[in-house]
Amino acid sequence: MSTRSRITALIAVSAAGALAACGAPGTAAKTTASANLTSSAATKSGTLTIVTKFADPKYAPYFEKVAADYESANSGVKVDLQQVGDQPYKDKIRVLSASKQLPDIYFSWAGDFANKFVRAGLAADLTSVMGPDTEWGKSFSPAALKAFEYDGKSYGVPINLDAKYMAYNTAIFSKVGVAKPANLEDLIAACGKFKSAGYTPIAFGNQYGWPAIHYITQLNAMDVPQATRDADYNPATGAFTDAGYAAALDQFKQISEACFDSGSNGLSHETAQANFLAGKAAMHFLESVEFSVLTAKGGAPAELADNWDFFRLPPTASAAGDKGALTGAPDGFMVNSGSKNAALAVDFLKFMTSKANGAEMTKSIGWLSSVQGTATAENSFPQLEAALKDISSANSFAIWLDTVTNADVANAYLSGVQGILDGSQSPADVMKSVQDAAAKAKKSVS
Amino acid sequence: MASRMTRIRGLIWLLPALVLLGVFVYYPIVENVRLSFYSWNAFSPKPVFVGFDNYATAASDPIFWRSLRNNIAYAVVSLVFQVGCSLCLAAVLEEFVHQRLRGILRVIYFIPAVISITVAGILFSFIYNPQFGLLNRLLGAVGLEQWQHSWLGERSTAIWSIIGMSQWQSIGYTAVLFVVAIQRIPRELYEAARVDGAGAVRQFFSVTIPMVREMTTLLIILTVAGAFLVFNEVMVMTAGGPSDSSQVLGTWLYRNAFLADDMGYASAIATVIFVLTFGFAILQIMIGRRRRVEM
Repeated sequence: MSTRSRITALIAVSAAGALAACGAPGTAAKTTASANLTSSAATKSGTLTIVTKFADPKYAPYFEKVAADYESANSGVKVDLQQVGDQPYKDKIRVLSASKQLPDIYFSWAGDFANKFVRAGLAADLTSVMGPDTEWGKSFSPAALKAFEYDGKSYGVPINLDAKYMAYNTAIFSKVGVAKPANLEDLIAACGKFKSAGYTPIAFGNQYGWPAIHYITQLNAMDVPQATRDADYNPATGAFTDAGYAAALDQFKQISEACFDSGSNGLSHETAQANFLAGKAAMHFLESVEFSVLTAKGGAPAELADNWDFFRLPPTASAAGDKGALTGAPDGFMVNSGSKNAALAVDFLKFMTSKANGAEMTKSIGWLSSVQGTATAENSFPQLEAALKDISSANSFAIWLDTVTNADVANAYLSGVQGILDGSQSPADVMKSVQDAAAKAKKSVS
Repeated sequence: MASRMTRIRGLIWLLPALVLLGVFVYYPIVENVRLSFYSWNAFSPKPVFVGFDNYATAASDPIFWRSLRNNIAYAVVSLVFQVGCSLCLAAVLEEFVHQRLRGILRVIYFIPAVISITVAGILFSFIYNPQFGLLNRLLGAVGLEQWQHSWLGERSTAIWSIIGMSQWQSIGYTAVLFVVAIQRIPRELYEAARVDGAGAVRQFFSVTIPMVREMTTLLIILTVAGAFLVFNEVMVMTAGGPSDSSQVLGTWLYRNAFLADDMGYASAIATVIFVLTFGFAILQIMIGRRRRVEM
């Protein structure tokens, strides 16, 4: 055998070894969700692995504290907490899923993102311990609990409540003589008055697409009947032929023309928010988890911190959908169905969602907890308390469009609304792309 | 016998490097090509063989073609600036600038290359900001308001704005490499050219360019390969938007793999990128060798 042949053979053998070691993707046996989910003090031992998307320095310390407190309360348990950023999490969790190395507990958005794990058998069925009729289940806001249901079973533990509201500067509203709008027509009319007075009506930055998606989520909910939306948001049955979808895009176009600054695709949400904080804009559509940045404690100037309130994005007078729906969804955690520590994972999540930890979440990072009765005058601020009341009164949650729908449909919307904003696409063009994407999604699911 | 033992010992020393190369370079390439013939994602229990379907999808996907066009634009502009202009810059630095100033200028030109691409992307996001960005302010200050744009927010300007940032960052790096190549040219060649009556421009074309041909070939390969592998700056500045107008193959691959859960299609895109860059590198090396023989 020549030297070259030997080297060739060596490379071939090395590659074969690597191939054998690595294996094919997704070929491991599908796990089932039949783990024992109850633990006793005697069984509380081992290492619990958790991956979250809360690496942001504003939020990470809360989760680190919960993990440390749990370790202190259970001396035999070590919590291996890994926190990554929002976008890297989407990569990491997929890699872990494909390699069948999911942690015991992992973060999930509500909607199709969570449902993918359920359909793949990667999420433990938690109905027996946190279904609506259980003691733990009753401690949650019912809407939050429902957001993680799939085929009538509970798969995710909601940790917070988040909803989208239009924050407004009450001082600017008074100065310009505008009242809180009762419907979308009023809002659009008010934008003209703000522009005339030298203010940006709505601070809006859409550099990455999702801020516009939140408008569409709310408008779709108000313009399309819920049963139709449920069918369309399901990749197996989605068609998006209801006229309400095009109406929602038309309304968004009207809002953008009347209320936004030009060039919003080139502005980030944070830049737009800075304009609102600086008193240059009358309104800003933001999540309730962002409310704390509008407070003095969160660093807002006193002129704004003392003069802001919020309202829901109002429907048109003739909206055909659910006018009481509210854009938002809880974030949550799921338990790996293949975890040997499933019972311990459930115990940890019960600890995390105790009333005391829920109240601490509101106090330390300004989030509303999904646990009922945790927001009080002592640990929150008036607007957050009011948001909690409003969320409780919402008919239903309209889950973020980019997480509730199939990824192809979400991408068609993301791309399309940017086109509406820069004038390169019409609502009809966008709907055509969405319908094509829905057809593709239906084909891939079937 | 001794010779045979020497060869075996040599192989043993090479083994770790070969294993690493095999596992981390060649295996992923082979595996990626294999996976491009399957429909699979991180959640699917079993990959399904679909033959050339993923390549057919690419052929009929308008955003794939737009991404490819953007990569080609990236490559062409990068060749002009990072090879052509930086060679001129290096020649000017070496021939016309005083030695003391030369060092300072080299450092100034090189500084952008040591800035992280993410930081540079964020920095230019501010420069391109339509409301308070430096570029629009500058245009306004000189009476060119009609040229002001939402640079990263308009379909017609987004990819060109990113390409512009990339040139700012890389031109100094390639210029310094050319400076090194020019400094290795024997001074006698320039003296002989001057004796023959050649001016500065003639010396540049007749001495400098032929003598830095190997560096030029290397930089062409690196620049074109880099243009087809571009990812970070696009993700940081536009994430492919608005309306997918600034997608490049790398970001379109990423979106399909990690957001649309279509790993098979993403593998097919990765294979296309590999074939394009590998093919171009082979072609360039062959042309470079032939020219060297002609010299």
